[in-house]
Amino acid sequence: MIRNYFKIAWRNLLKNKGFSFINIFGLSIGVAACILISIYILHESSYDKHVSNAENIYRMTTDYSKVRGLNGTGIFFSANTAPTVLNDFEEVENTGRLMAVQSFYGAGSNDIRFDGEATQHYEEGFAYADQSIIDIMDVQMIYGDAKTVLTNPKTIVISKKIANKYFKNQNPIGRSMYLNGNNQDPFKISGVMKDFATNSHMDYDFLMTLKDVEFGEGTLNDWSFCAYFTYVLLKPDIDIKAFEQNMNTILIKRYLKPAYKAAGFPSWVHLEERMKIGLQPLTDINLYSSHIFSQLNFSNDIKTIWIFGIVALFILIIASINFVNLSTAKSANRAKEVGLRKVVGSTRRQLIGQFLAESILISLMAFSIGIVLSALCMPLFRSMCGIHLVMPWSSVMFIATTLLTSLIVGILAGLYPSFYLSKFNSVNVLKGRLSIGNKSNALRGGLVVFQFTISIVLIVGTLIVNKQLQFILNSKIGFEKDQVVQLYSTNVLNFKTKSFRDELKTIPGVANASISDFLPLKGSNRGGEYFVKTEKIGIDESIYAQLWSIDENYIETLGIQLLEGRNFFKKDKADRETIIINQALVKALHLENPIGKNISREGGRSWEIVGIVEDFNYDDMKQTIKPLCFVNNMSNSVMSVKLNTTDVSATLAAIAGKWKAFVPDVAFRYKFMDASFANMYENVSRIKAVFTTFAILAILVACLGLLALSAYMVEQRNREMSIRKVLGASVQTIFKLLTKNFLVLVIIALAVAIPVAYYLMQTWLQDYEYKIDMSWSVFAIAGIIALAIALLTISYHAMKSALINPAKVLRTE
Amino acid sequence: MIKITDLEKYYKTDELQTIALNKLSFEVKEGEFVAIMGPSGCGKSTLLNILGMLDDSDGGSFIFNGEEVIDYNERKRANIRKHNIGFVFQSFNLIDQLSVFENVELPLIYTGVKKAERKKRVEEVLEKMQIMHRRKHFPQQLSGGQQQRVAVARAVVNNPKLILADEPTGNLDSSNGNEVMDLLTELNSQGTTIVMVTHSEHDAKFTHRIIRMLDGQKVAENSLV
Repeated sequence: MIRNYFKIAWRNLLKNKGFSFINIFGLSIGVAACILISIYILHESSYDKHVSNAENIYRMTTDYSKVRGLNGTGIFFSANTAPTVLNDFEEVENTGRLMAVQSFYGAGSNDIRFDGEATQHYEEGFAYADQSIIDIMDVQMIYGDAKTVLTNPKTIVISKKIANKYFKNQNPIGRSMYLNGNNQDPFKISGVMKDFATNSHMDYDFLMTLKDVEFGEGTLNDWSFCAYFTYVLLKPDIDIKAFEQNMNTILIKRYLKPAYKAAGFPSWVHLEERMKIGLQPLTDINLYSSHIFSQLNFSNDIKTIWIFGIVALFILIIASINFVNLSTAKSANRAKEVGLRKVVGSTRRQLIGQFLAESILISLMAFSIGIVLSALCMPLFRSMCGIHLVMPWSSVMFIATTLLTSLIVGILAGLYPSFYLSKFNSVNVLKGRLSIGNKSNALRGGLVVFQFTISIVLIVGTLIVNKQLQFILNSKIGFEKDQVVQLYSTNVLNFKTKSFRDELKTIPGVANASISDFLPLKGSNRGGEYFVKTEKIGIDESIYAQLWSIDENYIETLGIQLLEGRNFFKKDKADRETIIINQALVKALHLENPIGKNISREGGRSWEIVGIVEDFNYDDMKQTIKPLCFVNNMSNSVMSVKLNTTDVSATLAAIAGKWKAFVPDVAFRYKFMDASFANMYENVSRIKAVFTTFAILAILVACLGLLALSAYMVEQRNREMSIRKVLGASVQTIFKLLTKNFLVLVIIALAVAIPVAYYLMQTWLQDYEYKIDMSWSVFAIAGIIALAIALLTISYHAMKSALINPAKVLRTE
Repeated sequence: MIKITDLEKYYKTDELQTIALNKLSFEVKEGEFVAIMGPSGCGKSTLLNILGMLDDSDGGSFIFNGEEVIDYNERKRANIRKHNIGFVFQSFNLIDQLSVFENVELPLIYTGVKKAERKKRVEEVLEKMQIMHRRKHFPQQLSGGQQQRVAVARAVVNNPKLILADEPTGNLDSSNGNEVMDLLTELNSQGTTIVMVTHSEHDAKFTHRIIRMLDGQKVAENSLV
């Protein structure tokens, strides 16, 4: 019997080739999209789950949401936090520190040279780590003993990728590595580790030991010097909430308060209110870190995952709706078959079985084609989302889930048509008295409205996401990022830094040059303090503000607007007691006529305000511009050079020439600031591309369905239209009559979609401090696009029907 | 009113060409009631479709009301059709979704008659056909005879000069059939020209003249007056 079902199903597919094609192909596209997105989602939510003990590993966090000027969660801790936590809490199995602040003591990127070689190579992915990080994260070694690789001073572990690059087929253990032209004091390679997995939140190629490393004198015991990520491995079955609470209380009371008090920070009194130390599960880092500031590497957002998941589901639903709609629509053509089958003895159950077999067959075919399609599109999708994703061919779960889903889709999509079709009364059908039910028309209408509602929401979403990103990339950011070149590793110039800078300014085409590694780019050097009006020390609440060391050329080079007062003087050391602050800090400190006033670092020195700069965006555009101040000091690992030339390459060559003259053995490294800026938003751009692509796919699948549905609806009304034509209706009248009904459906969908889309996009935009207004024009454009697409789709068949020869239709009656 | 000369029509399929009308010629005068008879497939319905300007011919001449219409385009033919010709079909061809009133009103809408005038004329003709009481019903709620009366009402509501009837009694029992024939006869007596395709010798007796066809050609003509 089942064989017979499938045989007939197969013949029916062949008989209605166009219908079968749309049904199968539409569903295949939906399946392929769904598979690709699912692989992406699985990858994103699998982060760090492979680490053994992952469920007991946490990253320490500090919640500063009540601190004015900060408002967020930090992940930087002092050097002594990790040993203290390990020592004081019996729940803790192990702790480890990681220091990865860009261009800070060689974290981030460096020029490297191996012993016995002359050339320098630029490499990224440097971090300092404790041996215990290797233990906690279960980092696997290819060469070297995982238990001891970082226990000795000046040791470094490199990744397999780097080992293969420089030491093909050799064991590099024991080789020396020099950083940034420093010919003394090399690192010794003590191990080669397996590359971090693509779904690991850690992404480093060089782990330098923290053994005996101090970033500045006295910092190892300074509770307020926070530069380390701190990871904690808990013993199994710890009540995490209670432990967090206990740890917070004890750390603040026992260590932080006394330390702050001893250092003279008046804030020690308020410490409990200001901060809350907590733990973030390792497996949450990738998806639940959007509230964390100064994240060094990109992490995804659970919201994005939700949005993608919903889009994938939408596409599958739209494709399945096509299936239901087309099957019931063409039921009129099969009514006679049903009638005859009943007459010759088929039961209703057998008929349902037959129709279900048909829909399961279609679904299975569609899923098979969909899997092939997704494999074919995988390389494209991979480059689109910038992650090395692979088809999980060997995964039993993947095969099982896909097969099960295809059966479910086949059954769900086939259920309504099969019950509907098998209900036909054979006598009526054979006598030609079958009336096309209003109920099924209403259902189809409802489903079309649903499809188009989804499509319109996706169109609006795509338009708004694109507009917002365009807005961020093009809006006034408060500084000039164009024609600014950043030279890296300029700290190798040492005492020659300033003369190099001044030399650069003599090159024609160079407008200005400045030394500072505090840059308005995410991931660059940051540091801040609590500030208060000097006369209100101990009275006013202090405000957290960034404190950046810059030279006197910085403001001009980056085109930052000086609103009041003056810049730092060109003469060295003249301006050690002065400070320039931004509007946000003026506002936060309630300063009136700020020039000449003094502000103080909490518990520390005081500065005279000499200038006010306009607020500029120095972090993610998602956040508000926070308080910031400049002091005239050296921070010399990056130099910014403002060009003013049409011949950029000649000017760059001239700069490179000067560099060679100053430091012949260090490679010249530079980046354009606008490129770095665009880089900050690369992931947003990627998400935009993925979203746009899948939105277009969804709309395409919906249109495919509409095309087929309009064909059947028009076919059903051919007789009516012929009669009208005989009675004198013109081609236009018929066309209008046929398209009207569909357009009404699209307009209803528009009415439903607008508030939904408005709400969803409003929610999405909430994350951005600087955002576009959702003008009515976006909705109008989306509406016009949807109507135009629908009209175009329906027109084909409507036109065909309007031009048909009525004599032919009525003859076949 | 109608003059056709050497009218030709072919049907082509992939493999063969069938001749539906083979150099057919005849004339119908204004006020005549003519029956066209012949076995199935002799070209009767094809002829009726061409006379009704629903279908093209492949050769010959067709003069309607003194105008050569053979080369007229779709728009011109539609215009002549809606002002001059009414149709009655064997299968009634009423639109299921429209009520009796709306079905009859349809031709008036397409000729641009104003609403109040439409209402008056539809009611008049429904009155005349004695189905006024059924005006709010839908076709499926009526008997075959009633449906055909609605179809006739729709055919005459525009006061056409010509009615083309394609086996108007074919789906009806004899008493309902006779009623429809009486209706047609009455319309004819009021001046409407009627060309009717029929298989029924009984119905043909109501007409003035019978044109007999075979294989797309006229084989005989009997005058009944």
